[in-house]
Amino acid sequence: MIVQTALLIGMVLFSVLAIFLKDLIRAAISLAVASLLLGIIFFRMGASYAGVFEISVVAGLITVLFILTIALTNTGEEVRESRLANVVFPLFFVVFVIIDALVMKGLLQKVPALPSGPEAGTFGEVLWKGRTLDLVGQIGVILAGVFSVLALFRKRDKHD
Amino acid sequence: MTNTWYFYLFFSAGLIFAGLYALLSKRNLIRLLIAIEVISKGVSLVLLATGFAKGNILVAQAMVVTFIVVEVSLVATALAIIINIYRHTKSLDVRKLVRLKG
Repeated sequence: MIVQTALLIGMVLFSVLAIFLKDLIRAAISLAVASLLLGIIFFRMGASYAGVFEISVVAGLITVLFILTIALTNTGEEVRESRLANVVFPLFFVVFVIIDALVMKGLLQKVPALPSGPEAGTFGEVLWKGRTLDLVGQIGVILAGVFSVLALFRKRDKHD
Repeated sequence: MTNTWYFYLFFSAGLIFAGLYALLSKRNLIRLLIAIEVISKGVSLVLLATGFAKGNILVAQAMVVTFIVVEVSLVATALAIIINIYRHTKSLDVRKLVRLKG
């Protein structure tokens, strides 16, 4: 449990760094490290497939997409962010964490859990037989993403 | 629910709070997308933690995998939109979008 807690704290820290680091490349890399830590947490919870997806897709592919976009939109002109928001954040975050801890402590054992039957089979069986509609939805979402990117980067006709 | 579930819920609430705060306070479009990513990390953590606490880790994994696929599609589309906005406005400032016409 100590290792898991350290991983969770590390993930939250790197996520906060990703939001507040000034350099966008460093922010994207911090996000990748947070994804990597989340993948390790998934592995330790026994969800190896979700961990593999998290590390390869989110920590790998999405980071590449972010860095590519940062490189394509880099002109040296920085967007001016509000300094007050950065200064106030630690205070708000500490207050939120205290409230969060108190609420969680108050809710402990109070939220009723619906009964669930024991799981049988492998991940493949659950994914392909139990969640077939999800897979159809995934194909739809991937196609929607591909076509939207194609539409956004299409070359303009002479008539446009 | 078990203590473990509340433990994970505590951290995912922190992630979601940080992401929402950044969405409200930041002006750079790429940073806003990073904030959405942070929120999605919190959501995927709570999804898997619920499955873990209830002993339904396989279904939770299947849902997380679906969630990741949706996330990738969203990020790809959003980044393409950001590049197009940058070509039009020559800036990543979200405030300049209010000046868009037609």
